[in-house]
Amino acid sequence: MEDRIYQTSESPAVQAAGETASLPGELPAASAAHRHEEPGFWKGQWKRVKKYRRILFFLLPAATFTLIFSYLPMLGVLFAFKGPEFDLTRGDVLWNLTHGSWTFANFGKIFVDDSFWSAVGNTLIINVIRLFICFPLSIIIAVQLSELKNQTLSKVILIILTIPNFLSWAIVIGIWSGLLNPDTGFLGQFTGYIMAQDAWFKPLAVFFSAWKGAGWGCILFYSAIVSIDKTYYESATLEGANRLQKMWYLTLPSILPTIALMLVLNISGMMATGFEQIWTMMQSNPGVFPDSQIVLDTYIYQVSVVHRTDIPFATALGVFNGAIALALMLIGNAITTKTMKRGLW
Amino acid sequence: MDEMDPKTFGGDPSVDSAAPAAVKKKRLFQKNPNKIKESKFDIFLNILNLTILFLGVILIIFPLLNYFSLAFNNGNSNLKVVFYPVDPTFKAFEYVLAGEGALDFWRAFGNSVLLTVVVTVVSNLVEAMAAYPLSKRDFPFKSGIMMYFIITMLFSAGIVPIYLLMSMFNLLDNIWSVILISISNVTHLLYFKTFFEGISPDIEEAARLDGANELQMFFLIIVPMSLPIIGSCCFFTIVGCWNGYGSALMFISQSARGKAAQPLAYYLYLMLQSDTLDKNNAWLMANAKNVEAAAMVASIIPIICMYPYVVKYIKGGLQLGSVKG
Repeated sequence: MEDRIYQTSESPAVQAAGETASLPGELPAASAAHRHEEPGFWKGQWKRVKKYRRILFFLLPAATFTLIFSYLPMLGVLFAFKGPEFDLTRGDVLWNLTHGSWTFANFGKIFVDDSFWSAVGNTLIINVIRLFICFPLSIIIAVQLSELKNQTLSKVILIILTIPNFLSWAIVIGIWSGLLNPDTGFLGQFTGYIMAQDAWFKPLAVFFSAWKGAGWGCILFYSAIVSIDKTYYESATLEGANRLQKMWYLTLPSILPTIALMLVLNISGMMATGFEQIWTMMQSNPGVFPDSQIVLDTYIYQVSVVHRTDIPFATALGVFNGAIALALMLIGNAITTKTMKRGLW
Repeated sequence: MDEMDPKTFGGDPSVDSAAPAAVKKKRLFQKNPNKIKESKFDIFLNILNLTILFLGVILIIFPLLNYFSLAFNNGNSNLKVVFYPVDPTFKAFEYVLAGEGALDFWRAFGNSVLLTVVVTVVSNLVEAMAAYPLSKRDFPFKSGIMMYFIITMLFSAGIVPIYLLMSMFNLLDNIWSVILISISNVTHLLYFKTFFEGISPDIEEAARLDGANELQMFFLIIVPMSLPIIGSCCFFTIVGCWNGYGSALMFISQSARGKAAQPLAYYLYLMLQSDTLDKNNAWLMANAKNVEAAAMVASIIPIICMYPYVVKYIKGGLQLGSVKG
């Protein structure tokens, strides 16, 4: 009953209740200020700054870390507009920023770059397959677990299914590359070394995501199902609904808000494939996979860190990717705010 | 008390003699054709459900067990390993933990411990401290400050500017680059803020009357009251730091200097590329997969130690969503 997802639909009410409840706890000075005339925006803010002056410095450490490691790199966006003479051997980073010409050509280069388009294509293919397999899989497992009569058993199964989520991608790919290797692994004797086959790359990428993430992903849905009022099921039984009907007409509609939210979140993250997974899958068989298997994350990594030959172009690629991700997140947020009355963050 | 009487199928037989009217009503309901069909259908569904879940559990357990067995197996009989080691030996573990591979392993282990401890403590402390003023309803410029943090969650300038920043700080090939980049965590800031907003202001008022200053208020009142959320966030930070190697891939090269700065997950990732092995060591070439498995099994021991927390988390309310709360 205390599931957060469900509370969020009532969050404005809860918040309002919290606000009224907090009124008696206010400092007398503050409540007095409320009764006065509106003192003007800046004056009011200044009053509150004075009121909270002792905890203002609490913000400092987080704000500093954010400034240095998130906002300072944003200045680096400027590198995306540097001309081709940018060269870190001629001077340090700041020297290069202040010298040399400015151009928009780096962004133009993205659109005529074949590797970029094949990376976008692969990213979308992998993510769309994931959306159709991994995402429903989590919901199905959650429904299955909730249908078990023995709830202890269902929690034991859930705990087992979440184990792979706590292994790093190196271990997950180590496990499967061992198992699917004809020289060392039990399954490899039957399958051959499919880890090194081009055609198997995408199916295996989706399978590994499902193997690692499905159990963990279903926790959210499972907790949403568990918090459905049991009396609905009783009255459905009295009305003569069978199990499948109850699942279809009761369980699924009840967790629809959770499903919709996760769907929007998934679609917002459509341009990211999970860099560690794809890169490790490619590197565990060095040289086997050609550029045809490249995804956006790994392509940007290759251009930016591995090759590091064309820094302005690499920056432009990163900025472009960041802009698309931002746009997707904003669209997702607009959708959830409009339909579900809650933001994505 | 004949429970098997078909007329009182599933019902309470004592009702039969006591109140005929009630029985009639009950029988009418029990003879509902849907009801009888459903129970057979139920059994079928239950069996199907259990079978599928059981297969899923096998699919998770089998690779784990197989890999675990490889770590304890001699490299010559790897193909025969299914659920248990067929030729048990500790040689792979010896190599990784005490033999030739020990220096690399323990150095990476130490780096990972440093990374995990520093990031878990500093990141959660810093974000919780920032969340405290922001949880106040009338904190000045609240939405502006929130925006300042949230923007960093939505937009990142990409790898190159961060890479260049680290090279300016001379932190490349240094574990501190990974530590510093991991500290800012806006998601946890939002979790903390939501939780703090739920704490009644009366408690703070009482503490203030007792003469607590703001630091005491935060560390002695707010933090102890928020242990569940702090625990969850620390847990996710620990798992993330221990298992992640994306930023290590960016900042730490495979040079000699970089080798000293590898976190454990990065070291395991490099182990997957078997061409880094010493080709002259015949035993190592035959046991490459077993050595890799041994290193990976040894590396997950800290995570296994955390697992009771996961169990508690799942058995308890499942409060914090895995993605957002």
